[in-house]
Amino acid sequence: MSFRYQLALVWAAIFACIIAFLSLIRLDLGFIGEWWGFIVYGAGNPDAWTVGIVATLYISLASILLAILLAFLGALGRLSKHPIAYGVATFYVSLVRGTPLLIQIFILFFGLPQINQQLNRVFPGFEQQFPFISSLLVLPALPTGILALGINYGAYMTEVFRAGIQSVGRGQIEAATALGMTPGQTLWRIVLPQAVRVVIPPIGNDFIAMTKDSALVSVIGVQELLWRSQKVGVQNFRSMETLLIAAAFYWIMTIVLQAVQSQIEKRLARSDR
Amino acid sequence: MDAIVRLTDLHKRFDALHVLKGVSLAVQPREVICLIGRSGSGKSTLLRSINFLEEPDAGAVEVDGIVVTPELDTRTRRQRIREIRLRTGMVFQEFNLFPHKSVIDNVIEALLVVKRLPKPQALEIAENFLRKVGLIDKRDEYPSRLSGGQKQRVAIARALAMEPKVMLFDEPTSALDPELIGEVIKVMEDLANDGMTMLVVTHEMSFARDAADRVIFMEDGIFVEEGTPDEIFTAPRDPRTQQFLQRHIRG
Repeated sequence: MSFRYQLALVWAAIFACIIAFLSLIRLDLGFIGEWWGFIVYGAGNPDAWTVGIVATLYISLASILLAILLAFLGALGRLSKHPIAYGVATFYVSLVRGTPLLIQIFILFFGLPQINQQLNRVFPGFEQQFPFISSLLVLPALPTGILALGINYGAYMTEVFRAGIQSVGRGQIEAATALGMTPGQTLWRIVLPQAVRVVIPPIGNDFIAMTKDSALVSVIGVQELLWRSQKVGVQNFRSMETLLIAAAFYWIMTIVLQAVQSQIEKRLARSDR
Repeated sequence: MDAIVRLTDLHKRFDALHVLKGVSLAVQPREVICLIGRSGSGKSTLLRSINFLEEPDAGAVEVDGIVVTPELDTRTRRQRIREIRLRTGMVFQEFNLFPHKSVIDNVIEALLVVKRLPKPQALEIAENFLRKVGLIDKRDEYPSRLSGGQKQRVAIARALAMEPKVMLFDEPTSALDPELIGEVIKVMEDLANDGMTMLVVTHEMSFARDAADRVIFMEDGIFVEEGTPDEIFTAPRDPRTQQFLQRHIRG
């Protein structure tokens, strides 16, 4: 028997076990059929295709972009000899990696409005005089969630970016310097283009992980996939059904994204000189 | 004639290690100088001090009339170091071509961003120098597709394209397979014949004997002995030079 054939058998057996388990707990398949579209993309609602899995994807996308920006700045700080830049970067990485993402989400969601309150108490009329700053402190759930995920992933990716930049040999910097290029030109034209090739695969991994960690922002009421499945499940006493719907779609999304990533990596490898 | 490179009492320390212990040197225009000696004798550090890849701790570096000393204020120093780098070209042991750029893009890079030449003009200059090192047909290849000898010739073209007054070679053939050394030596000899001022750190004694005007033997951060290739290779006076040459010249 070929290995692939054996593999297919193993997967089929595991699926059979799962189906046996699900029928044992008397899963309501009719309910799943009726509600999955509403949960996953808001079927039949005016806000269809802006919630559920779509929200999960764009929250992840916005967060990873913020994380890339922060990780880039963090990596420059980590590599800097300037005490302020180095100090801020290492503090950021240590604090964010040392605390749970869930706590960070809560602190941003409840803490920032408290700063606004306090500012209003100390400077009466603050809200009226600085409406923009005030609005930044009292953010809706969605931008708060993106901020929290971006800050969190940015700290983890700082180390990846630092390693990527350091993977470019000292000789490259010396060659550029000897040719008369400034440190800035050397960074942008010689070091970063080479570092990007090194960090693209880990950014892909982080993005895929982010799509699942984004489920955490459901706790502050962002209408992404998990939030919708929980709302529907609790209201109908069918939580197991709706959670399974969410889980299935996270899984499918991951498989699709992994396929996309492996294509990108293949292309990178092909153009690797 | 006025020296084009003048080093005065140069000192360099790496922590406890005193690598250059007061070295002075005047290089005349069109002169070819070979620095020989064991690894760790300070010859690479000396070369890298000229374009400030290493910062000397004390002493003056002068290239083409531009003087840099550690005492200058940071701004002036930085400007002058930049001026010196524009007047010197460097070739490294490990080539250090930019792997993400094609051969031609390696050569035009600094012409575009440092000299700010328009692209057509940069391309013309680059092609001329690639022709000179015999690699115009590799114009659009990437460095990973070249042999070591070809890479080093591109690196030489890249440095020459900036039209430096002085070329610094830091063991240009040490990373090459023996059968590829000849093509690089040939390019360097042509360059010497064209009248380029060259400082060459090398273990390739045949090049030193054939192409150098002056050979300097370094040990422990000082010049032990210097002279014409004849003087150094046939009648070295210092016992340390004699011992070194005995080990390094076969046959």
